[in-house]
Amino acid sequence: MALVHSHQLSKSFGGAPAVQGVSLRIEPGECFGLLGPNGAGKSTIINMIYGVVHRTGGELTVFGHDPSTQSRSIKKRLGVVTQDNALDESLTVEENMLLYAAFQGLPAATRAKRVRELLEYMNLAHKADSRIQTLSGGMRRRLVFVRALLGEPELVILDEPTTGLDPAVRHLIWGKVKELRARGTTVILTTHYMHEAEILCDRLSILNQGKLVALGTPAEMIKAHTPGFVGIFSKNDEARLKAVTAGFAKADVVEDSSGFHVRVPELAQLTSIYQSHGLNPLQIRPANLEDVFLKITGQELMSDA
Amino acid sequence: MRESFELCWHITRRNWAVYKKDFLANISPTIADPALIMVSLGLGLGAYLTDVEGHSYMGFMAPGLTVSTALFTSFFESSYGFYVRMTFENVFKAMLTTPIGVREIVLGEFIWVGLKGGLMAVGVSIVLALFGLMSDPWLLPLMLFVGVLVALPCGAMGLLATSYVRNINQFQTVYSFLIAPLYFFSGIFFPISQMPQVVRIIGYLFPLVPGVALAQSVFWSRDIAASFAFNGTILTLQSLIFCAFALYRIRKKLEA
Repeated sequence: MALVHSHQLSKSFGGAPAVQGVSLRIEPGECFGLLGPNGAGKSTIINMIYGVVHRTGGELTVFGHDPSTQSRSIKKRLGVVTQDNALDESLTVEENMLLYAAFQGLPAATRAKRVRELLEYMNLAHKADSRIQTLSGGMRRRLVFVRALLGEPELVILDEPTTGLDPAVRHLIWGKVKELRARGTTVILTTHYMHEAEILCDRLSILNQGKLVALGTPAEMIKAHTPGFVGIFSKNDEARLKAVTAGFAKADVVEDSSGFHVRVPELAQLTSIYQSHGLNPLQIRPANLEDVFLKITGQELMSDA
Repeated sequence: MRESFELCWHITRRNWAVYKKDFLANISPTIADPALIMVSLGLGLGAYLTDVEGHSYMGFMAPGLTVSTALFTSFFESSYGFYVRMTFENVFKAMLTTPIGVREIVLGEFIWVGLKGGLMAVGVSIVLALFGLMSDPWLLPLMLFVGVLVALPCGAMGLLATSYVRNINQFQTVYSFLIAPLYFFSGIFFPISQMPQVVRIIGYLFPLVPGVALAQSVFWSRDIAASFAFNGTILTLQSLIFCAFALYRIRKKLEA
């Protein structure tokens, strides 16, 4: 049975639709990604899963319960890495976590031990007595992970877990997420980083303007929407490149600050552009989730605007 | 039910943990304000007002100051304090991902302001009793109930203000046009029996007037049972109605 199951799930805020007819099944043990541009409805869906936002249409069950009426039973079994850290600034690291251990319903006798274990697990044990104000951004983020894991959740929701973090902390967090997965914990991830989604998620969905527009494994999505390879060409070659790619679909030639991204189904086509026109690509890479994302959410047209 | 109460209690504990971090800074206004009023108005005006309803001016003001302490301590906590936690620190967003719901957040807040208001009222009463301003110091424990009964509806008014203001500066307006008038027309500084009837009736719709009347009956050992029956009932009703309305309003703020 699906751990999260939605059917035609909808939410509007005072008449303005935020989520429209989303049907999803998230299975136990998988890492499921919710991707989409800002305002696509990712956070609204997350908030509906733990019952802070109430749906205005369709069905939603989490662990078989309705989050609108039984959110406490659901929240006992999940942990959320919130987008805002929302830590109690005036309390110390340990005081914060002991409080949340109590909120999570841990028996008083086991709270201190659980907090200490998790602080060690996230390399924060040496900061136990520090006030939150003295922590760096990366430390705060790790502490929010500790907070989410206190109740030994079966489902962990990661709402943009690595936004604004340096690469070292980001890799540390990815490692921890993989360890969670190895232990069989179900994970729901929202992120703006396609690379992050590609390496962490078993399956993912792309939302745009509140609607589910794509669903599948990262490989399936790339194969279905942007198969092949991408060559990046210098802007200096614009005139000649335009002539060569005149017959290409508009979505397959994308301009951004780094140059022109030309996507072709077969690697040989890039070689032929090079051989017959002398256009030397700056870089050649396999198409990735970012190409899918840009194609589906229509933002490749931004450069035309 | 029991689980919900435990969660409320954790919220109360959280507020206490934060409060005691800065204990001296937090508690000093509670002591300093009534002391200032006592010394300035009590000694200053008191030299001219030697008989206010049979009391020295200090003796007249004393019970009311316990009530104003309960008012200010609970109103500021649940207006500025709650607003900062909700808007700037976002702590409720994180709490709501745990088994805690909006009901527990709000009820935990009420337990906190109620306890704090009750204990502060007793604390101020002890000081006043030491100065001989309480006719029967054995009645001190009753001031706990007076403090709680005033602090709850005042805390609810603070939460209601929190649910209506659009930015933190607007609390100043609430203070100037609601809290300050309630304070000055509460019967703390002069008997409101001399005011027009409409003022007295409006006064009874808010916690200050019945609160002050109740504190006066305890301090002056005058018709205590009757006063608890009348003013106590009014305050209990206000607590229930204001708190329920505050819960409804805050729920609309924190859930969607």
